[in-house]
Amino acid sequence: MKEKPELIIKGKRTDGRAFDELRPIKIEVGMLKNAEGSAYVEWGNNKVLAAVYGPKEAQPKHFADPERAIIKCRYQMAPFSSLEEHSRSGPNRRAIEISKVTKEVFENVIMLENFPGDEIDIFVEILQSDGGTRAAGITAAATALASSGIPMRDIPYAVSAGKVGDQIILDLNKIEDNYSDADMPIAISPRLNNVLLLQMDGSMTKEQMERALAMCQKAGESITKLQREALEARYK
Amino acid sequence: MKIVLPGDKISDSVLRMENGIVENGKTYATVIGMLDDEKGSFIPLESVWYPRQGDFVIGIVENSKNNVYTINLDSAFRGLILPPPRPRFGGRGRDFDRGGDRMEERIEPMQVGDIASSFVKEVKREADQIILILERPRKLYGGKLVEVRPSKIPRIIGKANTMLRKLEDGTKCSILVGLNGLVWIKGGDVLLALKAIEKIQEEAHISGLTDRIGTLLAAGVSK
Repeated sequence: MKEKPELIIKGKRTDGRAFDELRPIKIEVGMLKNAEGSAYVEWGNNKVLAAVYGPKEAQPKHFADPERAIIKCRYQMAPFSSLEEHSRSGPNRRAIEISKVTKEVFENVIMLENFPGDEIDIFVEILQSDGGTRAAGITAAATALASSGIPMRDIPYAVSAGKVGDQIILDLNKIEDNYSDADMPIAISPRLNNVLLLQMDGSMTKEQMERALAMCQKAGESITKLQREALEARYK
Repeated sequence: MKIVLPGDKISDSVLRMENGIVENGKTYATVIGMLDDEKGSFIPLESVWYPRQGDFVIGIVENSKNNVYTINLDSAFRGLILPPPRPRFGGRGRDFDRGGDRMEERIEPMQVGDIASSFVKEVKREADQIILILERPRKLYGGKLVEVRPSKIPRIIGKANTMLRKLEDGTKCSILVGLNGLVWIKGGDVLLALKAIEKIQEEAHISGLTDRIGTLLAAGVSK
């Protein structure tokens, strides 16, 4: 096992950020013409493209739900996206899991009951990864959905928080993700104030968890603002 | 006018609208749109087509079986064209319950892949999906079918058909606009019509559109 690197040096993180500082985020909307909605997010070194298609007839037919639309979600890392090993292409255990949790985030905000027997497709492609890609992916997919005209109750965002020693840090990058004591991605619907995704590696005390949650909610305000600006910029 | 995103509040009161949702007595937007606070109107910038009785639609014949045509409307809903009811002879004679003069109403035979225009007769909740019963089908010969965003269709048609008439006059095309988001263009300067429709979609939310389309068409014709 590799030796654990120093993650906090002189009160700063490895990339010079403060503990509660997000990486620089850039969001663009509507670059894929064939898709109903699309968004491109640069989140630090993460580069994520999300596209939304539908609603259309659910295929195969036996997947269709007579009460509501179904969501099909595919989260995929490009073979060239990572600094480390380049595994075979196609979904692996991790991609299948993230696809599932992303799907469950959007099942709570899209008005699926309007389209019985239909499906809505969400594709999240990670072009370059540097930790926290599921948060970036969900944020990108939420922005793409908002630009698509598919009715939804709210625009969710996702961000991660973690723990190094006793210090709670926001928005972990790759090295922090690998060596921190805890890592907690979270997706929140800001208007409804609902938590749509909560996963955790490692452990936190109740008090640390509350601090992490508060930090994520505060960061969420700026992420929501960026999503809003990106969506509005399309119609300027 | 301000831009409203999904989840933003439209009104403090209960408004029943296609692109809104009521929660705790307040109305929230479910799609991106423009809200005019003074008039209280909400115009979606992007939306899905929700069928209504009498909507004019254009689609592609997907399947034909037992005289029933399945029409792909490029939307969340599928259309069906049923054979006209057969009049009953003998006994009490013609079946007047069916209404109208059904004897004359014949459906032109169509093949899979043909383009057909039609009207929504009924929006029907079937066991596992919503299907549209279509009536008065018409087979469209030749022409070009273009996909447009359903939320931009009111702009392509214009107030009292003004924009559509302008397009038809400017390009000498015959244009049929299906509310489901498919436009059929035939004859005349099809490329110019496509360019104009693209421009309408891009600039639908900016005022003075009719004048700009007029300029575009005038420039196109002189070429």
